[in-house]
Amino acid sequence: MSTVDPELLDQTTAPKRARPFAQLPLPPANLTLWIIILSLCVLPFILVFAISFGQKIEGAGWEWSFTFANYQRFFVGALWPETVTFLYLQKLWYSLYYAVIAALLTVLTAFPFTYLMTRLSRKAQSRWLVFLLASLSLSEVFIVMGWDVLLSNRSGLPMLFRETGLTDWLKETGWFDVLRQWGLANPRNVKFKTSEFATILTMSYLVWPYAVILLYPSLSRLDQSMVEAARTMGAGPWTVIRTVVLPSVRLPLIGTVLLLFVFLLGTYVSVTVFADPSKQTIAISVYDAVRGSTLNAPFGAAQSIILLVTAAICLVLGQRLSNRATA
Amino acid sequence: MAGLKLSGIRKDFGQVRALDRVDLDLPGGKLTALLGPSGCGKTTLLRIIAGLEAASGGSLHLGSTDLTDVPAHKRKFGMVFQNFALFPHLNVRENVCYALTIAGMPKADAHARAAKLLDMVQLSAFADRKIGALSGGQRQRVAIARALAQEPEVFLLDEPMSALDANLREQMQVELRLLQQRLGITTIVVTHDQREAMTMADQIVVMSNGRVEQMGPPQEIYHQPANPFVADFIGKANFFEGVIEGGAFRNGDIRLELAPAAQFIDGADVKVAIRPEKAGIDDPEATDNTVTAKVTFVRDVGSTRDIHLDTPLGPMIVEYAIGENSSSFEVGATAELYLPATSLHVYPARERKAAA
Repeated sequence: MSTVDPELLDQTTAPKRARPFAQLPLPPANLTLWIIILSLCVLPFILVFAISFGQKIEGAGWEWSFTFANYQRFFVGALWPETVTFLYLQKLWYSLYYAVIAALLTVLTAFPFTYLMTRLSRKAQSRWLVFLLASLSLSEVFIVMGWDVLLSNRSGLPMLFRETGLTDWLKETGWFDVLRQWGLANPRNVKFKTSEFATILTMSYLVWPYAVILLYPSLSRLDQSMVEAARTMGAGPWTVIRTVVLPSVRLPLIGTVLLLFVFLLGTYVSVTVFADPSKQTIAISVYDAVRGSTLNAPFGAAQSIILLVTAAICLVLGQRLSNRATA
Repeated sequence: MAGLKLSGIRKDFGQVRALDRVDLDLPGGKLTALLGPSGCGKTTLLRIIAGLEAASGGSLHLGSTDLTDVPAHKRKFGMVFQNFALFPHLNVRENVCYALTIAGMPKADAHARAAKLLDMVQLSAFADRKIGALSGGQRQRVAIARALAQEPEVFLLDEPMSALDANLREQMQVELRLLQQRLGITTIVVTHDQREAMTMADQIVVMSNGRVEQMGPPQEIYHQPANPFVADFIGKANFFEGVIEGGAFRNGDIRLELAPAAQFIDGADVKVAIRPEKAGIDDPEATDNTVTAKVTFVRDVGSTRDIHLDTPLGPMIVEYAIGENSSSFEVGATAELYLPATSLHVYPARERKAAA
């Protein structure tokens, strides 16, 4: 066909040019995206979900099945209804507890730092950002090793406390008893391993650069003339931060807390090294079930599913909270 | 109302001197316009007055109070920013109440004051709106009401009209001027628009390169510019150069009388300025001070006609208002350009070539 019917051309080209793939049911770009989502997110999730209903064969692997035994074990214990144990709920509680406190501590300390950083010259800002980005290349294992050395009883801060006489001074002033109540001292000296303090501190340290990088864009875009306007209306530095800066970055602030929280739910190394065995988290338990000592993949899968659902519930609640804050 | 006194204000940004020995007496209750091209230091001066920027030297007094080292939040000069800097997380009423709220005023009193201010700027119906739902003109009114809520002793505006449409701009200039006169508040407006300055100001401070070029009432600035820069920046002006001879101007064969006679020694190089509307063409009253010229272009914009001329003194423009001169000017025709002695402003030619 050498000639084109002008009428046909009129009808088709104008709308077609704008959206060349409009006639296809699934455009290729979209299709690729769906394949990626299906193969990398949905299928593995369905697999884990399916395994969570399987059952362990004593002394061997596991087999497909359809039993709620794994979920029952999580919530009330394997021997229910004869005996009830909340061991795994407790582990879930510690997962949430560490993650919430560490996320809040991180944002609380990273926010003033980032705010002050955006007041520096462009050059100084980019230096700090490069430094913080570079620090992300350190693995969790490496960071925890560093803190392990710093906090261990024989070589770290406790030794420094003892050798400098700080321990004796704490004992004289009565602070030592307070530290013992907080679980940060044994009868002879201060101790940070194992303690919730060291666990949360290390977790917080791990995600601190993320917090700065997440908060930086909104804080650096903050309109300085708003800060100046507040000053000309009688607002001192703290009033400016309370009434202008914080409300302006409330959404990124809540977003950062939520993201760090979800990220920290899965912390493994810090918790194994610094948390008391009785205060360990679901992440450790999942690892033990799947790869570690207990070898019970279906139960590990069930725990993963519950952790995931809990995280989702927390995100939805956080979303609700931030929506209410903006309304 | 106390006046503001600036003595020897200096500001250095690294190696760059943004302000150099600025001495100003701003009378209380009057509107002063800081006028100059961009980069002349006028905004820096306003920020120093507000306390947002520290001067490198000099002092600032309000009445007898020394404010030089007083921080911005203790000065509490109401300020309207170029982009208005309204708080997007607060609604219109909360924005206006801001200064009162943080000062701990009871909510009912603050809301009553805000209602009065919003009424004054004709925005009562918008009190509960979000800032994002306002137009540029409305935002400006909110910014003005917000800055006035704390009843400041000095009211500062940084290019307040630059974010507005051209036609809204003129209307707001008049409104702002009326509001300022009603309140009788000491006001300083930064602008680069000479029409805006002349519309609003009791006195104009013309600045360039960090210095004050001239300060005075608008008409004085226009009719007696102190130097070529002011003559060029405020309104339009024709310039030509020559020497002084016996109190008159001379360039080659051309001799122009000056009234009053120039206070320069003979042979001094001078630069002379004349406003286009003060010059005339083929004027029957002209007896002397004429130059033979050739019409090169006629620009007729309805209300005025600009006749561009080529003269031995250089290119010049004569402006006629509508009805002022009925003769038609043909391009290429010869004309007698009349430069009245009383309208010629004479300046030493050696002076800084500050224009532009």
